[in-house]
Amino acid sequence: MGFIDLHNVYYRYPGQSRFVLNGVNLSISKEGVTAVTGANGSGKTTFSKLLAGILTPTKGWVKLNGQFLTSLTLAQIGRQIGYVFQDPEKQLFCETVEEEIGFGLRNLGLPLDQVALKVQEIMEYFELTRYSQSFPLSLSAGEKRRLAIAAVFALEPELLVLDEPTTGLDPYRKKLLGDYIEKMVASKRGVVIISHDHKFIARHATRLIRLQDGQFAEG
Amino acid sequence: MSNLDPRTKIVIILCLSTLAVFLNSPRPLLLLFISTLAVLAFFRINFFRIMFRFKKLLPVLLAMLIIQSIFTPGGQVLLTLGGINVLTSNGVSSALCVLFRMLIFFGSAMIIVTSSSKDYILALVQLKVPYEIAFMVMVAFRFLPVFKEEINDTLVSIQLRGVELKKIAWGKKIKFYTHFLTPLLSSVMIKAYQLSISMEARAFRVYRRRTYLRFLKYSVLDYLVTGFFLIATIAVLGVVF
Repeated sequence: MGFIDLHNVYYRYPGQSRFVLNGVNLSISKEGVTAVTGANGSGKTTFSKLLAGILTPTKGWVKLNGQFLTSLTLAQIGRQIGYVFQDPEKQLFCETVEEEIGFGLRNLGLPLDQVALKVQEIMEYFELTRYSQSFPLSLSAGEKRRLAIAAVFALEPELLVLDEPTTGLDPYRKKLLGDYIEKMVASKRGVVIISHDHKFIARHATRLIRLQDGQFAEG
Repeated sequence: MSNLDPRTKIVIILCLSTLAVFLNSPRPLLLLFISTLAVLAFFRINFFRIMFRFKKLLPVLLAMLIIQSIFTPGGQVLLTLGGINVLTSNGVSSALCVLFRMLIFFGSAMIIVTSSSKDYILALVQLKVPYEIAFMVMVAFRFLPVFKEEINDTLVSIQLRGVELKKIAWGKKIKFYTHFLTPLLSSVMIKAYQLSISMEARAFRVYRRRTYLRFLKYSVLDYLVTGFFLIATIAVLGVVF
């Protein structure tokens, strides 16, 4: 049994006849970096959303740590899985960068001084300190992506799901992201990367899964 | 009926909505609602199936009706709590009016989906509405589902960062939503700005005069339906005032 188990998972979007995922069986452990690749429209994002409980399978089930995902609320899932959307704007909703990073930490009930410390640390790491009081949506595309990733990293989830995390990042920021991923892996936390960035995958992935015709092939 | 000219459909929507605004008691509004259902049946629209998709709005609607009932005094007292008149006949009547009005608005708006957005642009242009405005109105309609999806994703993201939205009390929930309204509106404004740049960059409004391949023509049925709705609306308004 893995950290996340998918059993015979089928998924099709409401009102559509085509199944995006066709009977997927897969286990994802909390160790290492799992990379998911596949052509455009092959269902990578759908798969990632199923992992985070954002979508519910049409058939089959997904278990997180032995519990059916459908029995957990998104807030409960969020304590174990961090999810970074393909479009970072979708997850930026606070009025300042600082508030955005601290949002999840405050919800977890951390003391305010610890929240402030962690926010500071994350902002420094992702080089966002000078934007601390800026409005998140006014940042550049690359900065918005960094902020979206930083806001989820701050929560230190047990498994991190990143949908196309390197889009819009310059080589230096890609390296920073890679280093942080390695740091997470070293502290026994897992990462799932949905990406087309073969160089990034080759450098960091410990397991590669290809999605084709709604099914997975390892290798 | 779906083949009617889009302008006829606009007239039908305007007539039904106007009557819903001006009628002020539950019985005529109920009759108007039944008429709206009949119109929708002609368009082969299943009103109740579509309304079922909005079932999440039911608590808001109920809350609105209760508030309306409580805060409209007068008439026969139906329920008293601790010496305070909680429910009066005027309150119930007022709540029913709001309910029927909303159902009529929703119902008449459903007629829009029976024609394509291109047809509406053409219809508005032929009604002498400037093309830019007609186009913008249709783009706004097209963006509604995108906007809805964006709100959904933001709410998912909020919950994944530890907020139990379902467990928050209503008062706190409203405060919570208000907090996120500003960034959400900014996001829409930024999108609108980007869209306008993209349109300008693709030769939108490059020539002052625009020509159209198609021209909408009013059929006999269109004249009959338009005439019927206009006369019926004026007649009802004449009786009301």
